Amino acid sequence: MSVDNFCETISDQINTGILVVSLDFTIVKWNRFLQVHANVTPEKVLGKCIFDVFPELPKKWFERKLSSVIQLGTQSFCSWEQRHHLFELPHTRPITTDSHFMAQNCTFLPITSDNVITHICILIEDATDVCHYQTMLNKTLESLAMANRIDGLTQIFNRKHWEECLAKEFSRARRYNHGLALIMFDLDHFKLLNDTYGHLGGDKVLVETSKTIQSLLRLCDQFGRYGGEEFAIVLPETDLVGAADVAERIRAAIEGTDINFQDQIIRTSVSVGVSIINSQDKRYEDLIQNADNALYKAKSSGRNRVCLSTELP
Amino acid sequence: MSALNLNEDQQDCLQELINVAMGQASDQLARYLDTFVHLKVPSIEQVDAKSLSNSLNDEQMAVAVVSQGFFGYEGIRGEALLIYQPRDSDRLADLLGYEPEELSVEEQIIDLSSILTTTFLNVFAGQIDNQMSYSAPRLLSSTKSLVSEHLHQLSFNWDLALKIKITYQVTDYSFNCDMILLIPESAIINIKTVLNRILDEF
Amino acid sequence: MGSSVLVCDDSNLARKQLLRSLPEQLSTKTQIATNGEEALEILRSQNIDILFLDLTMPVLDGVGVLQAIKDENINIAVFVISADIQPEMQSKVLALGAKEFLRKPVKTEVLNEHLTKHGFL
Repeated sequence: MSVDNFCETISDQINTGILVVSLDFTIVKWNRFLQVHANVTPEKVLGKCIFDVFPELPKKWFERKLSSVIQLGTQSFCSWEQRHHLFELPHTRPITTDSHFMAQNCTFLPITSDNVITHICILIEDATDVCHYQTMLNKTLESLAMANRIDGLTQIFNRKHWEECLAKEFSRARRYNHGLALIMFDLDHFKLLNDTYGHLGGDKVLVETSKTIQSLLRLCDQFGRYGGEEFAIVLPETDLVGAADVAERIRAAIEGTDINFQDQIIRTSVSVGVSIINSQDKRYEDLIQNADNALYKAKSSGRNRVCLSTELP
Repeated sequence: MSALNLNEDQQDCLQELINVAMGQASDQLARYLDTFVHLKVPSIEQVDAKSLSNSLNDEQMAVAVVSQGFFGYEGIRGEALLIYQPRDSDRLADLLGYEPEELSVEEQIIDLSSILTTTFLNVFAGQIDNQMSYSAPRLLSSTKSLVSEHLHQLSFNWDLALKIKITYQVTDYSFNCDMILLIPESAIINIKTVLNRILDEF
Repeated sequence: MGSSVLVCDDSNLARKQLLRSLPEQLSTKTQIATNGEEALEILRSQNIDILFLDLTMPVLDGVGVLQAIKDENINIAVFVISADIQPEMQSKVLALGAKEFLRKPVKTEVLNEHLTKHGFL
């Protein structure tokens, strides 16, 4: 057996598609991988134009790609990460992946004869497995990142992430001289509630309160659980009047919400503190401190009320 | 001075080879992209793995970094990093001769990177009677942290590298990008052998 | 005959490459300069027939040398030998009076052809 025959055997056994086209896009080589995966015999494709055999190819893109190989005499690549597949070939994992076609890494190689490029070889590697695992990994990473940001009980932002959001909004407001308001509120007599209904009852109140408030907020507002029964909301582009209005709606909504827990109705209320960014605030912590002071005032002056860090204009 | 440092003649020889490769590469690119590509005089320096990440990050805020490995005969190998600035990606499709809807921005950046890297290195390799093969280009990230992570991983394999930085300017598109070739220490020895052979010929 | 030759390039390798490509009758009377300023000093003090000039150099670049030759009316045939082969640069140096623009690394045959064309061989 001659070495040429070896190459023929290898090209037919290799788990990579080998497709060679002449410069006018006529297919001149079609290995067994392609025959098997495309379920088309060489006789049916050899001598045919590649665009007739694969009408799904993006023609202009493909021509430009090949022209770069021809003009620059260099190899070129196309990865599944940017373009899931070029050729619509069925893959070998039809059950476990959600795509209909084989994910592919394609390499375009110039083939020269006497220093002149006469053909282009396209190598097609099956990247379905890599694509599958990478997609799974990305999903996992996404949910991990999510878990890192979310409070497990209430499904709103946890304190760490919420503070990061506040820090970002604070510096943005500072830079562009925009408004920024902060609302902090606390469930009234939460300890008593826990003692009366048990911790499950308390948890239920935390969950229901979060849901009620989330429904009152804009998409850009950032709502987080600050501590045990304390919550906080960042309101970008909001002045004192606007924030006081939201705060009052929150107070009223919680006062007016009945929470069903084991055939009992729990009613609760919140005390709310509101602050807005002012020119003395150097750090976002100043904003928290001011809202916290207002919240303390609301608590000490009888609860179930809203207090502001500064007088309304 | 370590055994890995290039001596004056070797440095001069490498610089000249790179200059010539840059000239021919920019000519080929100008023909292919139909606009003039200016390549700025390269800087060649020895970097250690630890300071590499810092030196790259300090220079600029990159939005995209594309990595592509290259390997030729005689143990000449390394990795090319193409570093793009934030505003540079606007008109890439136009530059590359594609319709913008034909390909994503990521694909444009990768495509251009591969063209810049392979065109330059092919000419360079031709001058030292070598021939390069390439790994598929990969977009490392669009975020700074991932780039330093990648560099950090790279640096597990070597302590010292030869760093060659070439800036590409496409004036018609007010576009810049930096190509950084990193040749790890095991390959520096091989480069030195090649340079010595060329120097011996003259 | 035997023209006197000056090779101006900051790269040692490039100078050696060129000197090796020079035909025998020229290679005996050659001097070198490693930047434009050095080249001008030699040109001002001696009679040189041919200057092989690189473009990208420290101190004074090739374009600066061409400009000075023009300004000072120095009678010399300049062959620019450059890696930077952009068309804009070519027309610029030819406009400044360079005889030819040759691409680096220059081949002996190409060099001979152009030297013959301008009557130096």
